[in-house]
Amino acid sequence: MGAIWLGILSMAAADAAEFNRDVRPILSDKCFGCHGPDATAKKIPLRLDSEAAAKAELGGRRAIVDGKPDESELIKRITAENKARRMPPITSGHTLSAKEIETLREWIAKGAKWQQHWSFLTPARPPAPEVSNKARVRNAMDQFVLARLEKEGLTPSREASKETLIRRVSLDLTGLGPTPAEIDSFLEDRSPNAYEKVVDRLLASPRYGERMAIRWLDAARYADTNGYQYDGERVMWRWRDWVIDAFNQNKPFDRFTLEQIAGDMLPNATAGQKMATGFNRNHRGNTEDGIVPEEYAIEYVVDRVETTSAVFLGLTMGCGRCHNHKYDPITQKEFYQFFAYFNNVPESGRAMKYGNSPPLTPAPTVEQQAQLGELERKIRTIEAEIAHHAAATRKAQAAWERELKNASPVYWSPPGMRDAHFPLDDNLPAHAGSPAIVEGKIGRAALLDGKSYFEVPAAGQFDIDDRFTLAGWFYPECSACSLMSRMNDSPKGKGFGVHLGNGKVFVAINSVWETDAIKYESEEVLEQGKWHHIAVTYDGSKMAAGHTLYVDGKPARVHVLQDNLYRPFRNAGARFTVPFRIGAGNGSGERFRGRVDDVHLYARMLKPEEIESLAVGLSLREIAARRPTPAGQRQLDWYFQHEAAPSEVRRRWKQLHTLLEEKENLERTFPTVMVMAESPVPKDTHLLIRGQYDKKGEKVQPGLPAIFGRLPEGAGNNRLGLASWLISEKNPLTARVTINRFWQMLFGAGLVKTVEDFGLQGEWPSHPDLLDWLATEFVRTGWDVKAILKTIVISATYRQSSKATPELLQRDPENRLLARGPRFRMPAEMVRDNALHAAGLLKHRPGGPSVKPYQPAGLWSELIMQDMEYVQSKGDDLYRRSLYTFWKRTVAPPMMANFDSALRETCTVRENRTNTPLQALNLMNDVTFVEAARFIGQRMMREGGADVEARLRHGFRLVTGRAPSAAEAGILRGSLQYHRDYFASKPERVKAYLSLGDSPPDTTLNGAELAAYGSVASLMLNLDEAITKE
Amino acid sequence: MTPLEITRRHFFSRTSTGVGAAALASLLGREAKAAGGLPGLPHFSPKARRVIYLFQHGAPSQLDLFDYKPDLARVRGQELPDSVRMGQRLTGMTAYQASFPTASSIFKFSRCGKGGIWLSELLPHTAKAADDLCVIRSLHTDAINHDPAVTFFQTGFQLAGRPSIGAWVSYGLGSESDELPAFVVMVSQGLGNAQALADRQWSSGFLPTRYAGVKFRASADPVLYLSNPDGYEREARRRYLDDLARLNEQKLNDSQDPEIATRIAQYEMAFRMQASVPELTDLSREPEHIFEMYGPDARKPGTYAANCILARRLAERGVRFIQLFHRGWDQHNNLPREIAKQCMQTDQPSAALILDLKQRGLLEDTLVVWGGEFGRTVYSQGTLTETNYGRDHHPRCFSIWMAGGGVKGGLTYGETDDFSYNIVQDPMDVHDLHATILHCLGVDHTRLTFKFQGRHYRLTDIHGRVAQGLLA
Repeated sequence: MGAIWLGILSMAAADAAEFNRDVRPILSDKCFGCHGPDATAKKIPLRLDSEAAAKAELGGRRAIVDGKPDESELIKRITAENKARRMPPITSGHTLSAKEIETLREWIAKGAKWQQHWSFLTPARPPAPEVSNKARVRNAMDQFVLARLEKEGLTPSREASKETLIRRVSLDLTGLGPTPAEIDSFLEDRSPNAYEKVVDRLLASPRYGERMAIRWLDAARYADTNGYQYDGERVMWRWRDWVIDAFNQNKPFDRFTLEQIAGDMLPNATAGQKMATGFNRNHRGNTEDGIVPEEYAIEYVVDRVETTSAVFLGLTMGCGRCHNHKYDPITQKEFYQFFAYFNNVPESGRAMKYGNSPPLTPAPTVEQQAQLGELERKIRTIEAEIAHHAAATRKAQAAWERELKNASPVYWSPPGMRDAHFPLDDNLPAHAGSPAIVEGKIGRAALLDGKSYFEVPAAGQFDIDDRFTLAGWFYPECSACSLMSRMNDSPKGKGFGVHLGNGKVFVAINSVWETDAIKYESEEVLEQGKWHHIAVTYDGSKMAAGHTLYVDGKPARVHVLQDNLYRPFRNAGARFTVPFRIGAGNGSGERFRGRVDDVHLYARMLKPEEIESLAVGLSLREIAARRPTPAGQRQLDWYFQHEAAPSEVRRRWKQLHTLLEEKENLERTFPTVMVMAESPVPKDTHLLIRGQYDKKGEKVQPGLPAIFGRLPEGAGNNRLGLASWLISEKNPLTARVTINRFWQMLFGAGLVKTVEDFGLQGEWPSHPDLLDWLATEFVRTGWDVKAILKTIVISATYRQSSKATPELLQRDPENRLLARGPRFRMPAEMVRDNALHAAGLLKHRPGGPSVKPYQPAGLWSELIMQDMEYVQSKGDDLYRRSLYTFWKRTVAPPMMANFDSALRETCTVRENRTNTPLQALNLMNDVTFVEAARFIGQRMMREGGADVEARLRHGFRLVTGRAPSAAEAGILRGSLQYHRDYFASKPERVKAYLSLGDSPPDTTLNGAELAAYGSVASLMLNLDEAITKE
Repeated sequence: MTPLEITRRHFFSRTSTGVGAAALASLLGREAKAAGGLPGLPHFSPKARRVIYLFQHGAPSQLDLFDYKPDLARVRGQELPDSVRMGQRLTGMTAYQASFPTASSIFKFSRCGKGGIWLSELLPHTAKAADDLCVIRSLHTDAINHDPAVTFFQTGFQLAGRPSIGAWVSYGLGSESDELPAFVVMVSQGLGNAQALADRQWSSGFLPTRYAGVKFRASADPVLYLSNPDGYEREARRRYLDDLARLNEQKLNDSQDPEIATRIAQYEMAFRMQASVPELTDLSREPEHIFEMYGPDARKPGTYAANCILARRLAERGVRFIQLFHRGWDQHNNLPREIAKQCMQTDQPSAALILDLKQRGLLEDTLVVWGGEFGRTVYSQGTLTETNYGRDHHPRCFSIWMAGGGVKGGLTYGETDDFSYNIVQDPMDVHDLHATILHCLGVDHTRLTFKFQGRHYRLTDIHGRVAQGLLA
């Protein structure tokens, strides 16, 4: 293959050797490994990657002497007879062909003209070349293609049939073939812009965004699990839906880029802009017990660099991790400077075992946003009502307050989501030992003697992702003891607890004490022999930052000792049924000694004002008797409106609180998205020697590789600045690389076939001027993705028939010259989606959590560790588009893997296609396709008319978008007849065959007939044409 | 008959209009390439034509199976000297341990075979094949956690994304079977602590997908989607494929796309697999003495023992790279009890496989490899008692064995220090092992490359030395 390609890409032999196209690829591939950008580091004197170095005198010789190949050391060495002198050395594994040697010689003979690597030069808009066959030009794009064909002496193919064309463009722009009705309407439309109307319709379809998104998900290594060993579930589908929406709304590609790289840093960033940055959090996350988190924190940043550089720059920057890039002008230091832009995320190298790893953003769906809006509207209404009646309420309250002195003492505590309350007055809860009842803070209190404690099985059954509050009054006479806890009652026991350690308040929540815990302590020592109100609130984030410790009603300054909690108490499906304890939790050595009173547990986070009020510690009567503090006054206000006010006031108050509770409950159902964020204290970045996390070299500042100059004027030297450079006119790559991926999507291979590598080892573009014209056109039109796709698909080039001739196949087997239209097997998701589509089974429901369609039983359980089984979806979710299929990284959906989909472990931008027997088995026997075939059979019988011919024709059109030829119809008829006999002869076959799949067959139809039609439909689905875009 | 011949027959028997000579020539070229591997390979005359790799997943303890340290009993319970550990990084599971008590193995060792290889009493059957074994005690790796370590063994790199060794081999050497894939994988469940595996451990990485390992499973469908739908029998499938080929030929004539011819051939291959795979996995005609040889589990589909019989059958049918994964070796706690259970499952079948291959004359050109992803620590994880201990992950040295095509039998290769902590002689890293395996297959590891992202990738990256000392 290689030799043929070189032939095509290096153009006609008559052309002089050109450095970028013909010479540099040889030097790069065969010489730069030693004599390239990394040569200096390897102490090799000769460098061939820069003109000055290659032509400089070195020990009295010059590698390249302009115009004089025989004096050029390079030519001498590559032609040396002596094997020891000959370059490249035999040990390198490289050899130069005679043709390559001739190219180098000729280039030097003609003056050795050097060029900067093409892709690092800003694209200039080239004029469309003149062509002779003007009739074959529909837009400027065609002139570039045609000019090349004319030079090669080739003629373009005629336009494809209308049926072929509408199927091709429908598949390309929406991922789904046209329905018979859509085909008919196009066939009937004789207007000159009939085709353009189809294109506009497709671009406006919501299916377009789904189609475009899936390739972006491959590039962004999107998945529904964390990868690595345990491979637990994560929730990133809101990011996936953001991508779909962005394509559908035709968000300009520069905005699309900016928001995904640095949306969080935009001024007044919207929820959507923050969500967009999930792009660079889609990398895998390691949750394995025993990893060194710092090691993986580095891997995540490297992944971001590799992904960002591949997707937007078409560069393999990852090569610079361990050493200077061998081919491209990127030093190791520059790699780490680029790395620094992505290294300032407040994250841990150990990912959460279940769910998303911080930083996160709440990502309500559109429906949830609507619900939230509605609730907030209701809350505002009721608050306005309350305000409206405030004066009257105050008046009534003043009267009530005056009466309080005559009332018995009543204590206020916050209502709402209370989990448990232990007044510890007279009726003590279950206990060990013998607590005494003594004078307390709130009524009476319990006196614990360092041995006795309370134990309540049903209380505080929170896990690490729950929100909760623990609060109580303590009068400690011990400095190393447990206040309250739900943990195994032993030192370092699993669970959560509030303790005193060295007299300070010490809080721990852990699954494994040493390695899987949050621990922190108050900076201040708690004064002994005195009542204190101690409270802890936790937001379920599994982060120390999600905790607040309150001492005597005020947030206390704490010192975080450990912050790497990542596994729930109920890890791996284990039970955790430890009781809630007061005065115990760290084993018998640390029982509480002193008094304890009024312990409250809440299944929510109390607000700071609530805790402050709770810590007042007086009865309402006592509060009212003096001049109340603000915290005390709040108690009076709240209690009155809740309990003592006139019924109208209480109703409004209750309504408000019901709504607030609903709002909180709604917010708890919001999915989250892992997002990028900036650490408040910038993290240092060091060059890592040989790329190893623990081998730090010099400290580096963020920066662009020198080859790209500087960030745009006024941009900060941070991730946002980098993003603004990515989309600036100074960056020669983003537009080219993006256009090239679109081209690959439509034509099967990029204009630069190495879509992931525009560097020196990348392939020379088949049509350099066309690439630059499209890239500049893309930018000129405001990075309008739909517009540029339309430009391409309405071209004459795109519309050509894909039929080949033996001569053309010989000449250009991969169709790089574009003398014919594209013909290649559909990507995996399209194969499945179109079978469901033809069957009428495909359910169009955009977005939402990923679904689990049919998958052979046991695939997960054979490989995974614990408690993660594939639970197949039901009903409509079996028939959603494949981009919504749940993607488990370690066990990818088997049909997708069979058909060469990207594996979503790391960024994949190159489309791959193989042709294997496993694909044949998959299409013939997977229940997905057997059931789809049955439904196509059903459609043939129900919609296809009365006679066999018409029914078969209908089915064939559903699958291939065209009517069968007479010969094909004959084969199909024969097959139908065979299957009729086959099923009629043994009725049990019918029953078995029709029972496959969850959707039952139409029982009004004759079973044997349906099975026969279903079998013929399966035959159709297995045609090469059925899974090929022609 | 090769798929190519089938296709050829297909064309010449049925196609009246004919296919363009160029298209057919192109098809012939492609098929030859797909079946035969790369031109110029093998680089030199191979000792082994195929590999059976018995991957012991979770990392078996070298100290309790192969790496005999009689002197350790005297220091049992004493702290591991710092001079041995030398600041070695520990996994997060024992890094916080206050004490690192030396845990000598409680199992007895004896010299086995003419070569006098030391083997533990846990491996009485393996002992019978001792003179075919080359026990390597000086393997080491860079990884300390399961997933990166297995990925490293499988692909030569700790992070996912590169081709697995089986994919490299089938890419380089192609297939010797026209009815089975070149690279087959089977997974069995152990009795002990299991760690997760992933399909990507046998993926083709950036190589074309057709080189990926095909997983054979102990279910009605040994290969995914192999069986025809219920109610659809083989005779109907034959007729179906004939019609399908005729329709595809129509298209081929019309569009001239050689990919269609390949597809026709692949459907024929699929049809052959539908017969050959069930025939292969049906052990009912194996004689009684074979089941006895492989042990009590051998009749239970999906067990390690049954998979070992299948491995032999795959080898007989020319499958190039056969890889078994047996899970459950991750013995952090209660190692003596747990490892004994694992050995009960694996010792007899592993040994039987060697002897069975040998009696059929297959061992001489089949390389069998047995081993895990790293070793285990000499110090106890958790409490050390008279009868109990655990062992954490240990990357610095561990033992594997190889047997058959290309390696010396009865050989003990490499040596570790008194604590089985560091290597003192003939260190061999994972790249070296890969280089050595490829060498046995007649492949120079530096010349089996694939260009991707501008770089010529190798299984051995930029490393790897063939361990000449263990070659036959």
